[in-house]
Amino acid sequence: MNKPVGISIPLTQSQLLLWTGQKLNPEVPLYNVPYAYVISGAVSESVFSMAFQKLINKVDVMRTIFFEEKGQPYQSVLPHLNYTLEFVDFTSTTSDKEVRDWMGRRSQRLFDMSRPLFDAALLKVDDERYIWFLNVHHLIIDAISSIILFERMSEIYSLIQSKDVGEITELPRYTAYVNFEANQRKSDTHEKNESYWKKKLKNGLETPPLYGPKKPTTTTRSERVGVKLGLERSHKIKELAARPEIRAWTQDLSLFNLFATLLFVFLYRVSGQKKISVGAPFHNRTANFKETIGLFIELFPIVDELVEEDTFFSVLQRIRLESNNNLRHAQPGMATFDIGKSFSAVLNYMTSSYPDFDKFPTKSEWIHPNHSDSAHQIRCHVADFDATGEIEIFFDLNHGTFDQSLYQKVPQHFLNLMDAMLANVNTPINQPEISTEEERNNLLEKSAPNNTYSSFLELFSKSVADSPNETALSYWDKELSYMALNKKANQLASYLQQQGLKPKDKVGLYFFRSPEYIISLLAVMKLGATFVPIASDQPSERITYILENANCSLVLTDSMLRVGMNSGPARVLEVNLENISAIIYEERAIDRLPNKNDIAYILYTSGSTGRPKGVMISHGALSNYLQWAMVYYKMDKAFIFPFFTSIGFDLTITSTFLPLLSGGELVIYRESDSGPDISLMQVIADNKVNSIKLTPSHIALIQERDLSSSKIRTMIVGGEDLKTNIANLIKKSLREKTRIYNEYGPTEATVGCIVCEFDPEQHTGVSVPIGKPIFNIDVYVLDTYKNRVPQGVVGELYLSGSGLSDGYVNMDSLSKEKFVKNAFVPNARMYRTGDLARLNNNGNLDYLGRLDEQVKLNGFRIELSDIEANIANHPAVENAAVVLLNGKHSIPESEVVNCTECGLPSNYPNADFDEQGVCHLCTAFKGYKEKTDKYFKTEEELKLLLTSNKNKDRYTGYDCLSLLSGGKDSTYILARLINMGLKVLAFTLDNGYISDQAKANIDSIVNKLGVDHIYGETPHMNKIFVDSLHRHQNVCNGCFKTIYTLSTKIALDKNIPFVVTGLSRGQFFETRLTEELFWDDTADTTTIDDTILEARKLYHQEKDAVKQLLDVSMFNDESTFDKVQFVDFYRYSNVSLSEMLQYLKDKVAWVRPTDTGRSTNCLINQVGIYVHKKEKGYSNYSFPYSWDVRLGHKTRAETLEEINEYIEEKEVKLIIEEIGYEEPNDSNENRQRLVGYYTGNSKLPSIELNRHLSKKLPEYMIPSLFKYLNELPLTGNGKVDKAALRSLNDVQLEMDTPFVAPSNEIEELLEGYWKEVLQLNKVGVHDNFIALGGHSLAAIRVTTRINDELEMGFPLNKIFDLPTIAEYALLIEKTIVELLE
Amino acid sequence: MKERIIQYIKHEICNEPLEGIDVQDDLLGSGIVDSMGMMKLVLFLENEFKVQISTEDMTVENFMTVKNIMEYLSKK
Repeated sequence: MNKPVGISIPLTQSQLLLWTGQKLNPEVPLYNVPYAYVISGAVSESVFSMAFQKLINKVDVMRTIFFEEKGQPYQSVLPHLNYTLEFVDFTSTTSDKEVRDWMGRRSQRLFDMSRPLFDAALLKVDDERYIWFLNVHHLIIDAISSIILFERMSEIYSLIQSKDVGEITELPRYTAYVNFEANQRKSDTHEKNESYWKKKLKNGLETPPLYGPKKPTTTTRSERVGVKLGLERSHKIKELAARPEIRAWTQDLSLFNLFATLLFVFLYRVSGQKKISVGAPFHNRTANFKETIGLFIELFPIVDELVEEDTFFSVLQRIRLESNNNLRHAQPGMATFDIGKSFSAVLNYMTSSYPDFDKFPTKSEWIHPNHSDSAHQIRCHVADFDATGEIEIFFDLNHGTFDQSLYQKVPQHFLNLMDAMLANVNTPINQPEISTEEERNNLLEKSAPNNTYSSFLELFSKSVADSPNETALSYWDKELSYMALNKKANQLASYLQQQGLKPKDKVGLYFFRSPEYIISLLAVMKLGATFVPIASDQPSERITYILENANCSLVLTDSMLRVGMNSGPARVLEVNLENISAIIYEERAIDRLPNKNDIAYILYTSGSTGRPKGVMISHGALSNYLQWAMVYYKMDKAFIFPFFTSIGFDLTITSTFLPLLSGGELVIYRESDSGPDISLMQVIADNKVNSIKLTPSHIALIQERDLSSSKIRTMIVGGEDLKTNIANLIKKSLREKTRIYNEYGPTEATVGCIVCEFDPEQHTGVSVPIGKPIFNIDVYVLDTYKNRVPQGVVGELYLSGSGLSDGYVNMDSLSKEKFVKNAFVPNARMYRTGDLARLNNNGNLDYLGRLDEQVKLNGFRIELSDIEANIANHPAVENAAVVLLNGKHSIPESEVVNCTECGLPSNYPNADFDEQGVCHLCTAFKGYKEKTDKYFKTEEELKLLLTSNKNKDRYTGYDCLSLLSGGKDSTYILARLINMGLKVLAFTLDNGYISDQAKANIDSIVNKLGVDHIYGETPHMNKIFVDSLHRHQNVCNGCFKTIYTLSTKIALDKNIPFVVTGLSRGQFFETRLTEELFWDDTADTTTIDDTILEARKLYHQEKDAVKQLLDVSMFNDESTFDKVQFVDFYRYSNVSLSEMLQYLKDKVAWVRPTDTGRSTNCLINQVGIYVHKKEKGYSNYSFPYSWDVRLGHKTRAETLEEINEYIEEKEVKLIIEEIGYEEPNDSNENRQRLVGYYTGNSKLPSIELNRHLSKKLPEYMIPSLFKYLNELPLTGNGKVDKAALRSLNDVQLEMDTPFVAPSNEIEELLEGYWKEVLQLNKVGVHDNFIALGGHSLAAIRVTTRINDELEMGFPLNKIFDLPTIAEYALLIEKTIVELLE
Repeated sequence: MKERIIQYIKHEICNEPLEGIDVQDDLLGSGIVDSMGMMKLVLFLENEFKVQISTEDMTVENFMTVKNIMEYLSKK
């Protein structure tokens, strides 16, 4: 664009926003404002043309062009513009359509910004009817300006007609407003008002998911749907607006408030979102600009948060205040990009109307250019252009949000709400049904009812009669025919009857998957009793609870499971195939046909309270499902199903019952006694079955297998959301004609009650729909007020009909809460599923996740299943699961208790206190205390050791190097060593933070004792501190290592054979000793010392800041550890604190520094304690001090005082800044984040997944972390185990390796040790020991345990050479094999 | 006070050129002033007469005529 001649005028804020919007969409006419003015009269074409030229001459914006200069947009007014008005003759055409098509096309014509931004034509329809077509770019016009322009045109036309051309007045210039607006932006009030808007935007405004969640829209395509209110409604709403309690300053403002109220309620009702923001234009025309043509309006958000109890009136009252507040702060020039982004709905209430064109009656039509701002999901224009008294509403519906089926529904839903408001303004906003009568009838779509009830036993008897010799069950290498099965069931039934089992008794069936289980359930049913399946893997407490809760009088089980079962008062009988036939009772057909209402079984599902709940299923409900399934799946004798899922899972009802009713075969896959259930793999490998019922997670497990020769032709999927990509993958790998069904149904509605056959062509969404209800089942999608939501809108799924459970055993209040009165069918109940669903446009139900899976993150409501579906949609991803991690759950300090013996705080990892409040460490220590005694020695022995070198050649003067910090412990050591007559070199690390008093102490001590003393230092100290804070959340580890490194070097240089440390006995247990070292009765102190030395060598190999920054070359030489030995003084001294202090006072006049924290002489130590407490919740001294107490070197009170000491945060922060440590800002307690787990062929770069999701999901729904897994962990029922996914810690999540669970006994054993020692909830076999925080001490603990358990002798360093469970397990395996050979 | 208010309305906010405004003239119902104009008047009154006019007070009763406005202000 070239810079034109003339003055460059900057743009107004409002123009700037439109300019940018247009630049972002250069090919789209989204800001075209086309009008068709239909003039009924014989317009003079020549006069019209002349008038239009005069109009251009008089109106500056008609001659305004736009251009950029150094990236800044400007406008300029051309002095002259000669324009030839186009004249189009439509008199020969008969249909209006041609005219409309012409205008439709012209309305979409793009404007060249460097030329005037309008397009006009005069269309002649017939002699008495003309259309003035005028299309103007929004940059130079708004609604009021359009009317002024029209009026001026009409006026000029009329003046020319009457030859009064001289009367045409000059019109006010828009450029005057540009100046005015610019000045307004510089005014004081501007700044004040700016903060008002900023505050309003700050509170997270979220796009409401209109008619169900949508992917962010990026299209400008939109549909305009108009609806006339009719004169009656228009009249009524004006009446309402005039009421004293409703009216605002003007009628227009009152009406605006009422329409805004309606729009808010509408948006809430079709999205479920309560906090809503609607943009509304402010005209910005004050006295001087009433007649100016140009762009004046600016859009500002009205924000309101609705509550469920609201009425239309209560919403209106808030809106009224809100719109006044907005008026007060909506100053010209306030509009910004941020303000523009803060709403996705617009209410455009237009006040003015068009007059006639020079006495000719005129109708005005605002043409939609088929595009509008992509950020506006919905725009609602309210107008009465022709002043007919009838209000018309135009909705612009963005194609990204609204599909065709909704175009006509939106105005109807809106009108339904309006009618409710007009009938009574005090109507609760949730009360009116918004869906139309027609929709409601469609919503209640039912499948044909089937009322012939046949009990399971009748149906089974038919199979026995029809196929007596066909195989009913096959297991291992055996088979049981229908006749034989029935015979055994009858025999068992007779026996049980003889044992006193009566109809309606409850019988626990505690079995592995076995023929015995099938025979037992048949026998129980034959007696009219109720069976309660209990899977073999249930914990014993749970079994006891179930038997008691269900009031079971009898448990049938096998000899193996019987062991260890606490059946309470219930009798236990063992059932096995052999003893059934041994039962003498003659086979008597016992078929007491059950009544519809008799309870067939009670299935226990996990409850949110932690107690399982027993779901009672009647024979009527069971048969309803089975009879439907027989028909729907076209069951016959040929069907062979595997019985491979848990008997406690209602999905298993399908596999176990269906084949027996059709004369088919059931192949039994018994679960293993322990460990993971891999029966599914056997099912696939055997390839015996042709039908299968499984979960989507099961599919994910098998879909990598070669299934090309699989016999499966019917696959029924249930239990979880079936993602389309999984369905597609399995569909492709199975035989072409295989049918895949998605069956939905909670246990409470008997296995399956909604079904859909997967159709890859049709089902292209992220999840396969759940489809349509089965026989005799009614489905409702309801809002919180139990109104049916319109098609497309998400609501909670309610089920009603024959499949419903009778409720929960002995849980009346829960039953009442979940099984409620059916609001639509008298005397019926309906079950609240807690599942979210919507009726899609094809009349199928979509499953949208659990209501309680909706999580809130930073105020946003998020559907985890939505994110999962979108991750799974990535071509390289097979399956995905998303969890919300709650971050650190630190226990409030007030709730922390301390061990009654040692003072260990209860928030220490894995702390476990007994009833007396004694911690696990104290309890364990009592078991090996005696063994530790021999580790400790006397001062005599120390003297002997330290002087042992005197006779050797190497002796060069110093007996030892003593580490002196200036504190009481190290000062005492120095004094004692001198007292022993030893020649000592004292060494102090000046870490830069030794207090002045401590330094003075050091100087006076060495003076007084007359010892040589040197200070060591390193320029890298601060880096070492920072590294230590990151690694260990303290400073001491880094400092200690620096001291050990520097002192070893000095000792080497000066040929000093010993370095004496001042570690307390408690610190031994923090740094050297572990309980494992004392487990082996035969181990003597030499073995322990050897292990410690080995650990010390490893310690110096750890790749931390010390290793990187200091000279550590001597540690590569094994002989260094020979030449310089470390001796812990307090291993040889058992001095008490009071003795020590007395001694210090007498001998060296030591005084406690007062310018540091209590526990040390070092200022920076406080930083370590602060960071440790903040990150881990407890002081880093908690553990070593607890050992000091345990070993009798401190009292519990002293410890508590020190570990609970107050830390001056201000000072700490100063030091933190000084050393350059950046506190992790994520350490705030409630930091929540989304973590996405996925499976697939290989790990994907996170950025790739990020990019993939950002196309589909809003930013706040994108997981902050993605973790690749080989497989998703599953619960016993084959559903994704989200609890397991939530238990990985931060380091594990950040690790680059995929998480793989242990797969064999050795790996499981190792995992157990790692978890315990590293204090983790879960460890993957490829996780790195060092990355997980494993250090030399942890190596001792893990290695000792392994050696102890397996009677091996692995050295400590093996775990660093083979730092993963997988590698180490291989080593163990190899070693075992070698030993066996 | 009266004159200052009338002058302000005449020169700054009225929709159409006016000869004069009577204290009893209905400013709101007649279309002399629209809601945006009335808000400008509120800001003017606050500034000119050093009063605070709360959103709750922005009613027809308080602002319909110049007389109403003066009565309202006198109560402040």
